[in-house]
Amino acid sequence: MTTTPSQPTGLTRRDFLSAGAKLGAAMLAAPYIARAAPPAGGGDTINVALIGCGEEGRVLLNAALKIPAIRFVAVCDIWPYNRRYGERLLKKFGHDAKPYEDYREMLSDSPGIDAVIVATPDFMHAEHTNAALGAGKHVYCEKLMSNTVEGARSMVAASRRAGRLLQIGHQRRSNPRYIYAHDRLLGEAHILGRVTAASAQWNRAVTEDLGCPAHQEMPEAVLQRYGYANMHEFRNWRWFKKYSGGVISDLGAHQIDIFNWMLGANPTSVLAGGGRDYYTNHEWYDNVTAIYEFPTSTGTVRAVYQVETTTSAGGGYHEYVMGDEGALKISENPKYTRLYREARAPEWDKWVGSGLIIRPGTGEGALPPVKPWEKPRPKLSMVSKSDSTVDVRETAELSAWDMPVVLDKAIHQPHLENFFDAMRGKAALLSPGEVAFATAVTVLKVNEAVAARRMLSFAPEDFTA
Amino acid sequence: MNEPNPPAPAPSPCEYTWAFLILRLFIGLRTFLEGLEKFELGGTYSFANYYQNMGKMAQGITGASFLPLWATRNYAHSLGYVLLLLGAALLLGVKTRMTLILTGLLYVSLAFGLMAVQENEGVAWLGIYVGLIAGALVLVRHDRFGAWPDRRS
Repeated sequence: MTTTPSQPTGLTRRDFLSAGAKLGAAMLAAPYIARAAPPAGGGDTINVALIGCGEEGRVLLNAALKIPAIRFVAVCDIWPYNRRYGERLLKKFGHDAKPYEDYREMLSDSPGIDAVIVATPDFMHAEHTNAALGAGKHVYCEKLMSNTVEGARSMVAASRRAGRLLQIGHQRRSNPRYIYAHDRLLGEAHILGRVTAASAQWNRAVTEDLGCPAHQEMPEAVLQRYGYANMHEFRNWRWFKKYSGGVISDLGAHQIDIFNWMLGANPTSVLAGGGRDYYTNHEWYDNVTAIYEFPTSTGTVRAVYQVETTTSAGGGYHEYVMGDEGALKISENPKYTRLYREARAPEWDKWVGSGLIIRPGTGEGALPPVKPWEKPRPKLSMVSKSDSTVDVRETAELSAWDMPVVLDKAIHQPHLENFFDAMRGKAALLSPGEVAFATAVTVLKVNEAVAARRMLSFAPEDFTA
Repeated sequence: MNEPNPPAPAPSPCEYTWAFLILRLFIGLRTFLEGLEKFELGGTYSFANYYQNMGKMAQGITGASFLPLWATRNYAHSLGYVLLLLGAALLLGVKTRMTLILTGLLYVSLAFGLMAVQENEGVAWLGIYVGLIAGALVLVRHDRFGAWPDRRS
């Protein structure tokens, strides 16, 4: 449109205010648009659908939205409340995702979908994953792979049949700190010496059951059509045997997967105890402790796993790999991560010199802080030990060290990036179905051992899908 | 009635001399190296490092106490040289009685600064040095091997 000479060329006050308001809105929205807009016309762009917009689905959405060349085209959830949330969040970031209640409709209606992210309750993983794979989509499915070994096995089979990728959400396997620990510290430098033991824990304080926002309840008929008994079980599915593998699956799966990975072996046996001792309205155990035996290349390693849902004591959540020359305590939370050197081990200064590890700047084992009137201490100055030995059988205190690797992204983002890179042929999956199947077998056996109240054995073929 | 025990033999003048010499050398070394480390920063020794260290010290003490910056800065800028001077004098045995008195007073002044910032651990360490210097003053009459000895009393 051109301006004719008869039209006034100056801005009116109304024009000025209107333009100003639009400019202001554009400036406020610019960071979101710049962060989220899919590349226009990029042939590399992957069209993604999400099944399950609950708690975990939202975490994955927020992580995936930071990855370039990803376009969400569909979002599916049986609960309108969740579905609307996902749809609105995606719209805010410039993704026009079509909402669906039924995943079958979504898969048949949207042929342009390249990949499906499954973040539904465990008992639906196999059904959703197998359907998506059968429709020719690549699948990223949340852990635990399935609440049954049969379900997990069917997912691997479906992936093979379809010739499509299946990544399971054990996201620690894509975390650069974990990769560094596995590949460099344990694999190349053998900095821990002979690994002799491992442990892991995830202790959480008491939590109330999830309720339902006012006027958002689903009719029981709808719930039952999708396999749920009622709204309470739908909201708190992690606590009920029909839908999940319990806390050992919900929290333990991530960390028991680290046992398998870091120790480079599958276990030969598991002994476990646990029970529903605190929450009377749940079905699954609220505490579980398991002891695995791993046949590693240097000998048997026993690994202890503890999960508590009634106390947050014990130092948060972490995995510990212990050797005769050092130990690695690692967690998704960097503040719990540290390397410890045994007093008998060769000096680690050479590893500091080569950049493999760094001296801790803060926290346990770090030099005491320099006071405002003090100059920085020389490197070789002696540090007095404040703790005293109370028993002659105590061995020397372990010195603490750090890893020179940080993760400056959301913890799920590298794992999603690995999945999308694998789709583009630029990387191999870091938690493919076959590997995650072994983890699922390792995890689910714990519930059997708790029920049997005795040690159960694994056969090597148990871990083959 | 039993015979009273014979009195223990008094230490010989030689033992007092060695006791004092050991004490003098220890205090001298400690004082000299205390002064020397004020010139160190990042493993290198220089006058620039000295003024940087001392400036930080003055600012830190003033920031954490009632002492004014002009006082802490003047004190800090002279501290390293005084420590080196007194330490060297003790090691060489230059006017040892007066040097010990000045060193003791210097450590008391350092303790005052740490008392002002409520650094009790540092005060306790300085208290040990002050005690050693007080002991040395008791034995100073046995001083030998000095480059410039005190006049005999």
